[in-house]
Amino acid sequence: MSASTIEKVCVIGAGTMGAGIAAQVANAGVPVLLLDIVPKDGDDRDAVAKGAVAKMLKTDPAPFMSKAAAKLVETGNIEDHLERVAECDWIVEAIVERLDIKQNLYAKLEKLKKPGAAVSSNTSTIPLEKLIDGRGEEFRSSFLITHFFNPPRYMRLIEIVRGPHTDAAVADRVVDFVDRKLGKRVVPTKDTPGFIANRIGTYWLAVAVNAAMDQGLTIEEADQIGGKPMGVPKTGIFGLIDLVGIDLMPLLTESLTANLPKGDPYFDTVRDQPLIERMIAEGRTGRKAGSGFYSFEKKTRTKRALDFATGEYRDPVKPQRLPPRAEGDLHALTNAPGKTGPYAWEILGKVLAYSASLVGEAADDITAIDDAMKLGYNWKYGPFELIDRLGPGRLAERLEKEGREVPAILKTAGERPFYRVEDGQRQYLGLDGTYHDVVRAEGVLMLEDIKRKSKPLIRNGSAALWDAGDGVAVLEFTAKMNALDGEVMKLIGKAVPLVAEKFKALVVYNEGSNFSAGANLGLAMFAVNIAAWSEIEKLIAGGQDAYKALKYAPFPVVSAPAGLALGGGCEILLHSDAVQAHAESYIGLVECGVGLVPGWGGCGEMLDRWRNMPKQPKGPMPPVTKVFEIVSTATVAKSAAEAKGYGFLRESDGVTMNRDRLLADAKAKALSLVDGYTPPEAPEFKLPGAGGKAALMLAVDGFRKRGMATPYDAVVADALAEVLTGGNADLTDTVTEKNMLALEREHFMKLVRDPRTQARVESMLETGKPLRN
Amino acid sequence: MRNTVIAGYVRSPFHLAGKGALARVRPDDLAAQTIRGLVEKTGVKAEDIEDIVMGCAFPEGEQGFNIARLVGLLADLPISVGGMTVNRFCGSSMSAIHIAAGQIAIGAGEAFICAGIESMSRVPMTGFNPMPNPELAKKSAAYMSMGETAENVAQNYNLTREEQDQFAARSQAKAEAAIKAGHFTDEIIPIATRNGTVDTDGTPRPGTTAEALGGLKPAFDQNGTVTAGTSSPLTDGASAVLVTSEDYAKEHGLPILARIKSVAISGCNPETMGLGPIESSRKALERAGISADQLDVIELNEAFASQSLAVIRDLGLDESKVNPDGGAIAIGHPLGATGARIVGKAAALLKRDGGKYALATQCIGGGQGIATVLEAV
Repeated sequence: MSASTIEKVCVIGAGTMGAGIAAQVANAGVPVLLLDIVPKDGDDRDAVAKGAVAKMLKTDPAPFMSKAAAKLVETGNIEDHLERVAECDWIVEAIVERLDIKQNLYAKLEKLKKPGAAVSSNTSTIPLEKLIDGRGEEFRSSFLITHFFNPPRYMRLIEIVRGPHTDAAVADRVVDFVDRKLGKRVVPTKDTPGFIANRIGTYWLAVAVNAAMDQGLTIEEADQIGGKPMGVPKTGIFGLIDLVGIDLMPLLTESLTANLPKGDPYFDTVRDQPLIERMIAEGRTGRKAGSGFYSFEKKTRTKRALDFATGEYRDPVKPQRLPPRAEGDLHALTNAPGKTGPYAWEILGKVLAYSASLVGEAADDITAIDDAMKLGYNWKYGPFELIDRLGPGRLAERLEKEGREVPAILKTAGERPFYRVEDGQRQYLGLDGTYHDVVRAEGVLMLEDIKRKSKPLIRNGSAALWDAGDGVAVLEFTAKMNALDGEVMKLIGKAVPLVAEKFKALVVYNEGSNFSAGANLGLAMFAVNIAAWSEIEKLIAGGQDAYKALKYAPFPVVSAPAGLALGGGCEILLHSDAVQAHAESYIGLVECGVGLVPGWGGCGEMLDRWRNMPKQPKGPMPPVTKVFEIVSTATVAKSAAEAKGYGFLRESDGVTMNRDRLLADAKAKALSLVDGYTPPEAPEFKLPGAGGKAALMLAVDGFRKRGMATPYDAVVADALAEVLTGGNADLTDTVTEKNMLALEREHFMKLVRDPRTQARVESMLETGKPLRN
Repeated sequence: MRNTVIAGYVRSPFHLAGKGALARVRPDDLAAQTIRGLVEKTGVKAEDIEDIVMGCAFPEGEQGFNIARLVGLLADLPISVGGMTVNRFCGSSMSAIHIAAGQIAIGAGEAFICAGIESMSRVPMTGFNPMPNPELAKKSAAYMSMGETAENVAQNYNLTREEQDQFAARSQAKAEAAIKAGHFTDEIIPIATRNGTVDTDGTPRPGTTAEALGGLKPAFDQNGTVTAGTSSPLTDGASAVLVTSEDYAKEHGLPILARIKSVAISGCNPETMGLGPIESSRKALERAGISADQLDVIELNEAFASQSLAVIRDLGLDESKVNPDGGAIAIGHPLGATGARIVGKAAALLKRDGGKYALATQCIGGGQGIATVLEAV
């Protein structure tokens, strides 16, 4: 069955998780009924669910991708509206973690739901078998656990537990829906306490916190050793606990200790934590409270750290640098002198052994465990990838030497790695001691896999061109952070004739965390510092030529962004015939933020977009005003849906919810454009000229007076206004695309020579934050 | 010279632009319903109407194509009734009345509908294609934002934030009292919308206190004193008055509200456009041969609290006679519609509360003032 058979969803429980799940269903364009209890006070019986939606509309980062999505959530209460679950194909229960209350609800749902409609619980602690106790056959066969992670929009993991009675077709339908529509990567999990991610994650945090205190490390030292070298995200161990909420820790401990089998290593981590108890008692529960392991002082925007000895905050102390080898080599890290080696080993030795011991128990294979930790805790490497980096033999040897149990799969592995590549195919080691292919979900196409199996058609230091099969080539950015530079433009120059000769279509795509945050500013600043103005102008002209070559190439070009697509990364989208965007694409022309104007054709392309937008008033000003508003304020759309509202994407552009399916969707989109493809014609503009610019600058003046724009903002806005209104053009003149490019170059070059622009760029490079000069 | 009288006054409910109950109503439909209401309410013979003179500050988009003529057709007035759109920004529909008075004086008609319309929801305050003369923009304040001019007036007259907040709170309180007393039910023509009939104002904020207003941030200048609470809100609304020769009104038994005694226009500095009423009112009073203290009713358009206070102070007006039913800060200011509203209101108040003379006056963006003196008949 396909996902389309789930056409309406009901979420019961409008807490953070339930409301967030409902929002994500709505983000997928599927109507959703969100029910919660009737409040004790007040006249509005739907107030709880309504309040949850209202709160989400104010939450940042936003649970909703668009205002339209929010309208797909219908609110109600379980006393008056429960029978409406009969309208729904999938009912998600996300109420309080109390078995009796859940069972009570299921007893009611059993009578009301339509046959075959799936029911799932978002429980993170209660075994499936207990949940369905007392229910009839139909209910049992429709029931499964769908364990989302918080926040449901942004966390890509979902753990799914099928019970022995669960009907495969019902479960497959839900799996297909959460994969394609909700964009989650499904990790099949066994019905064991905490499933995979939270079981390992909670253990990991407990081990790391205990060891930091036992071994006399500061918070900063612990986060330094247990953070980046192990592929843990920047928040670090203590930052993560602050984010989750320190008050949640005892609850997790309680639930795990109640459910885990006797002898589980987790019990060894449980101990009295007077400091943590005190912090909870004092309300220092983490980020939401303003202080936890770190305290965040809003006024001074400084972060202070907890002193384990005193329980008070002190200024942060930067720890000594790790020995250089220990930064990237886990063996060196665990053997480093001083505090480093023992702390690293305490974490890795325990957590990796624990993870290995769960193969077969909590998951069928190691890929599920690695996926769960990478997607549920944002680890860069899964536990078994970490073991490969440390050396499976070394890990087993040291565990053995210390008299600790060596998990079965580690013994099975011996000196062999958990992952290998055979004939371009990635394989993992199974419990049976043989290697199996890592199989992607049906229909998933990853550049990572293509790259493993083939060589690039052409490549240089910043980009590469790959054959994605079926006559589609893929242009990949490869520089650090996918920054765009002259090399990328040169490669585009070479790729266009090559694709024209040998392929049907081109997809611009990569698998970095961000599609591209724009031009390589560091390189640009280097050129500025040696006053190589002609080089900068060449870079601008080269980018313009490359992007226009893509636009007018004799084959369709589809760009497929995910994550940030800013500045030049946005401009390449604007030059594409179509875009297939990941729903989590953050698109914008942000040049003004660093004191510049879009220089690679973005101004003309945006004007062309906006003058063709439906429902726009006639005349030369409306498109100019819109583009000016969007670009002068460096607006970044916070989702693909929002990007359509700004004109960064067209209405006809595609949106893919599941990151893993982006390339396949983009390829299909590109192939759909091949038949009868003709390149677009160059636009010609009628622009308002000096009168229009005067209107824009009057508005800027108002922003200045209100304190919403800085003096230099006004200078940059003046340049942008000049470009967008056509420079010296009269209202009756025809402004060509070439004229627009020349205007962009002229004003870009004028601004880049200004020391105030240079100060902005430098600040961005140094702090990552815009300078408001 | 033939006398001109105001023989009827109506308006639509006023609602906030963008989010109000009239935001989804086309301005031509809004004006047509209002005019139809005036004809029905006064009982004037429609075929006697010479012309519809309609004020509109941004006559484009749905307010374009000579909206006055279109509104006549929409309102099913006889085909013989003309239509003329007038633009003097905020003074547009007061000018419409002045034009009609002039036409009557030279014998070019007996009865006129003088109306005003502005849907600030549907046509933005700058129009859709603002293209100022760049040279003029450099050398003068002709295009300065209205909020900035209000700040300039506050500064020139040393008006404090507190004085402005208190004035605005008084305007809200007067409007609240007028609503409670049912003073608006007579003048409001219910408007049919897609979501049902709208027959009350959405603009006033009953219960507003100066203290609450004190909490608002400056709206136009971060170091300034003018806030959204001491400014008239962006508003959707229409107004219409029946202007006839005195002879015609008497002959046909029309309910005469007041006679037009004198009118005046005067230009002033664009950067303090809010002071426009001072000179125009002086001129009109002089032409009427009366002094300010002889006025019984004053309808002074409250574009901003600051300019209202400056005008009251400069002309030496008795504030207790100013805007007895509240002003634009509470009721709203649909640019093109305000002039006819305050002339009609001043005339109606003379009739309702008694008295001899009334003044209606307002400031105009770009630096002008306009004034009308009425006398009881």
